[in-house]
Amino acid sequence: MIRSRRTRWVGSALAVVGVTALVAGCSANETSAAPDRDLTIVLASEPVSLDPCDTQDAANAQVLRANVLESLTRIDAETGEVVPLLAESWESSDDNRTWTFDLKEGVEFHDGEPFDAAAAAASIDRVLNTDIGCGNGTTDQFPYEVSIEVVDEQTLQLTSAEPDGIFPLRMTYIDLASPATPTDAKTEDPIGTGPFTVGEVVQGQSITLEPFDAYWGEQPEATGVTYVYRTEPTVRASMIATGEADLAVPIAAADATDDDRTREYSDNRVFFLRTQTNKPPFNDPRVREAVHYAIDRETITGALMERSGLPYDQIVAPTVNGYIDDFEGPSFDPDRAAQLLAEAAADGVAVDTTVELVTRPDLFPGSDEVMQSIAQNLQDAGFSIQFRSLDTDAWLQLLRKPFPAEQVPNILAISHDNISGDASFTYPKYVASSGTNSTLENADIDALIAEAETKSGDERAALFQQASRLLYEEDFAIVPVALQTKLLKLAPGIEYEPNGLTGVELRIGDISFTG
Amino acid sequence: MWTFLRRRLVTSAVSLVGVIVVVFFLARLTGSPASLYLPESATQEQIDEFNRINGLDQPLLVQFWDFLVGAVRLDFGASIWQRRPALEAALDALPPTLALAGIALALSLIIALALGAIAAVYRFRLPDRVITVVTLTISSIPDFWFALVGILIFAVQMGLVPTSGYATPAAWILPTATVMLAPVGVLTQVVRGSMIDALGAGYVQNARARGFDKTRLVLRHAMRNASLPIVSVAGDRAAGMVNGSIIVGSVFAFPGIGVLIMGAVLNRDFAVIQASVFVVGVGVILVNIVVDALYAVIDPRVRVSAGKAK
Repeated sequence: MIRSRRTRWVGSALAVVGVTALVAGCSANETSAAPDRDLTIVLASEPVSLDPCDTQDAANAQVLRANVLESLTRIDAETGEVVPLLAESWESSDDNRTWTFDLKEGVEFHDGEPFDAAAAAASIDRVLNTDIGCGNGTTDQFPYEVSIEVVDEQTLQLTSAEPDGIFPLRMTYIDLASPATPTDAKTEDPIGTGPFTVGEVVQGQSITLEPFDAYWGEQPEATGVTYVYRTEPTVRASMIATGEADLAVPIAAADATDDDRTREYSDNRVFFLRTQTNKPPFNDPRVREAVHYAIDRETITGALMERSGLPYDQIVAPTVNGYIDDFEGPSFDPDRAAQLLAEAAADGVAVDTTVELVTRPDLFPGSDEVMQSIAQNLQDAGFSIQFRSLDTDAWLQLLRKPFPAEQVPNILAISHDNISGDASFTYPKYVASSGTNSTLENADIDALIAEAETKSGDERAALFQQASRLLYEEDFAIVPVALQTKLLKLAPGIEYEPNGLTGVELRIGDISFTG
Repeated sequence: MWTFLRRRLVTSAVSLVGVIVVVFFLARLTGSPASLYLPESATQEQIDEFNRINGLDQPLLVQFWDFLVGAVRLDFGASIWQRRPALEAALDALPPTLALAGIALALSLIIALALGAIAAVYRFRLPDRVITVVTLTISSIPDFWFALVGILIFAVQMGLVPTSGYATPAAWILPTATVMLAPVGVLTQVVRGSMIDALGAGYVQNARARGFDKTRLVLRHAMRNASLPIVSVAGDRAAGMVNGSIIVGSVFAFPGIGVLIMGAVLNRDFAVIQASVFVVGVGVILVNIVVDALYAVIDPRVRVSAGKAK
């Protein structure tokens, strides 16, 4: 009796499932004319803020930039050049102070407001001149006052207090939002001009983007995007395997596959060591040069960084104008390192002084192992090394000036990215004598950097490269180790070619469907 | 009973104040929020301004006084990280943790009562040996390992459940199983132990000699007498679910108070750390009071002694 009742229940359940499947099958057929182009992208962390002026933070930018919000100019990820976006064109005065931007016509914000010079001016003013704590305004993106003038409906004139050869590049950092955006508070409702609007936001869970039908440019193939966040890299990669996500950024080397579904990309981040030149033994350039020869970059990157780093000998990535094309740095040569140390010792330099090799565990995944291996390299060359892995706060104390007088001489591990393509986002801070994070005291290099900053184009690049050459061949204060790389994973039927900007600008328009 | 409850509330309030005072100072040992929220190249003026806006320029004791005054009015300040009232962030994170903990604890109890009773009845025989080995093994598995391997086996290989998430019922299966690991093992052993004691007691032997139905005897009489230690261990495990919610939060992206506290610590969001610890503290106190009240319900002797203590 009981058994027969259960059988009937199972039978009717099966019938229901069957009918549901049939209905589902039909509706799938009906919609195949306009196929499902919804993307699910799994990221490592959730945006902290959706305010248009907080896109300095990579987690915010990865969702919003180029998708919801757009700027006057943008960086071409292939060439590293600054190209027009919401500006049609621009020109500068002879002294590189006054910049006139000709704006694109027929552009509309998501709320229907027209995009014109007044709207752009209001948006730039909000970023630079309000005290609501805009991420883009408080950083060194704009180290001087900017005055804003609306010339006519489509013309905007911006004047910087100091000559600036890269003003259009700086404008890539200011995302423009509707005049309806509040100027006395942050907003969680970014109204831009991009191909998508922000749909549903579930804090801690997901953000969806919906297509903006009145978009001025080419509509992306995707008809909707859902971003989810998973802290564990293995979970992100697993979501591709189960079909829960179409794109996982970034993934760990351990989860990489050998097929074309795993893509490698550089986020223009360089891992380097900084010696403390104001203290013995590093006040002698030969001792600093010895560090260059002591490190076995090939073995370290090959064995310990796997697909996360390539051996490297410059402080900026190849896309940055301070990069020297034909430069080849010192190769691994412990004998040469020992010889340099012996020469310095013969001249009375205390090369046996104990030196701290300082890092932090979250410098990059697996960095402590890499640093221990570097410590071994340095000891083999004849240095007396004390290895220290500090928390970020203590590490920052050593990174920035003023350096405490009683501090033991150190070699500090640094991982620095420069996605701008311009060396002025690296050199004044890390290489010039006045830089907050610099240990150099080199007047020749200072003069080259200062001159470069007032120039633009090839002239600017040539000056930065001269500074680079002095740094690598005479000063030796900074010891590059690896060009860092990242990995992402694609689901079948999805195509995306990552580039140097992927970490901060994941353009949905660059993603295509092959299935 | 009411005197008992009142006394519990007063002693609990004292320990709650102690906990939030300790947390106030411990949180500040994680470092300065300014060095986290401002760029590496921030000037001293920018740092000073940031500290002024967030009230971090005041001497520590002044900050502490402001915190105490606010806490009395349940105002824990605003979150630097999430830019909303800290208490709101903590209370928002509570329902998923409570739901997950409730389901996991209920399932753990059901499984533990069944397995523990079987093990006790078949003491030292094969079913007991198997149950003991299996439950001890389960409770010895590290939860983060189980979570990741569980995803690889049940989601990636077998395709039975989603890897992570929160929105669908299927997504709750792995997180629930993960937080159940330790409670199932421990509770089964507690049930087994106290059931063995109860079954060996004179009244049970007597009843059996008189021909009472064995199943009824185990479930009705022995179980009730064995339940005191079970309730107290279950209460302890309920409080421990906050820890479990950190693992399921970071691996499965399952929201909750544990993962909120972890995020607040990483983001040096002192206000949220303090508000969350307060909320968890209140929760633990409530659980303890419920456990005490259950004691009284289960064992009339507790009621009598609590009454006498008046």
